[in-house]
Amino acid sequence: MTWTDIVFERLKANCLEVVCHVPDSVLAPLITRAEADPFFTVVPLTREEEGIGVLTGAYLGGRRGLLMMQVSGLGNSVNGLASLAIPYQIPFLMFISQRGELGEFNAAQIAMGRAARPVLDALDIQHFTLRRVDEVAILTDGAIKTAYTAQRPVALFLSTEMVGWKKEG
Amino acid sequence: MGNEGQGIKGRGLINRLGATRYLVSRVPQALIVAGPGNAKFDLAATGDRPQHFYIWNSLGLASSVGLGLALAQPKQQVIVLDGDGGTLMNPGALVTIARMAPSNLLHIVWDNGQYQLTGGQPTATATVTDLVAMGRGAGLQHVAAVTTMSEFEVGLETWLTEPGPWLVVAKIDESSASARPPKDPVWIKLRFMETVNK
Repeated sequence: MTWTDIVFERLKANCLEVVCHVPDSVLAPLITRAEADPFFTVVPLTREEEGIGVLTGAYLGGRRGLLMMQVSGLGNSVNGLASLAIPYQIPFLMFISQRGELGEFNAAQIAMGRAARPVLDALDIQHFTLRRVDEVAILTDGAIKTAYTAQRPVALFLSTEMVGWKKEG
Repeated sequence: MGNEGQGIKGRGLINRLGATRYLVSRVPQALIVAGPGNAKFDLAATGDRPQHFYIWNSLGLASSVGLGLALAQPKQQVIVLDGDGGTLMNPGALVTIARMAPSNLLHIVWDNGQYQLTGGQPTATATVTDLVAMGRGAGLQHVAAVTTMSEFEVGLETWLTEPGPWLVVAKIDESSASARPPKDPVWIKLRFMETVNK
């Protein structure tokens, strides 16, 4: 199985039905599969911060979900996390494709890629990184379980070691 | 029904507290999400209830929260009360709501053309910006603007019966708001969820 297959299966197993996203090339196959499966309610966003609101409303209404985005989108979501998700104790998974680390061609991606973990640490949001396909199931299940126990978002980073990087540049 | 399709600049005649009271008495069973500022203070003034989700910061996210709630609870009427400042901070939400198109969502913007809580600094709706046009441009099919209480009362009957999502721009007067809702976000969340998921 590919990492996409495994993640898809774990999302279903954990009932993360509401899929908010701004697309990125790495996440594209997962988005396509979710759109094709009536189990999921896929919400394409104009900006990642909206997803914090949508997932809050969905959780209040009894449904779990995740926010899929590139790490640049985490930068767009910070006040939503700080002022809504954290104080109101709203759990969800953030599934973040890493940029700015191994194999990066675009200088504009570096700063947010490197700031992402310190920003999450500053907000006391736990994060884990998927580096090998054989650990994807365990880390995904574990991150989701902890998010709902803590009533707080948890982030999973998709490393370029595992998913590769753009050949250009 | 009001000036549907016509943008209006500046303030109106509707009293936000009076209109909120009328709304709550007309649909006591609705789930109401109120954004930061006087929208939520006037909602609290009508009488605090567990089906009010008061947002204390996160300006701009009220309609996104309303969208998520409407998608999760399609059989419930979901009402978002926000100001022009909040709506202008997250204009993309109008697009996302148009795209997802939940029929049970009614988004009311109390538009007084200003950031009232911070000293009345004008927003763009006081002069150049037309939220009705923005809503239509975003793809929303059901958009209305009202400037008087009787237009609001008449319009509400349509907004509650004709499937949405609805965007209503209600031009309000300069009255401010003095009530305060509960301040504990976790309390607000838990009692809201208990009410919704009964």
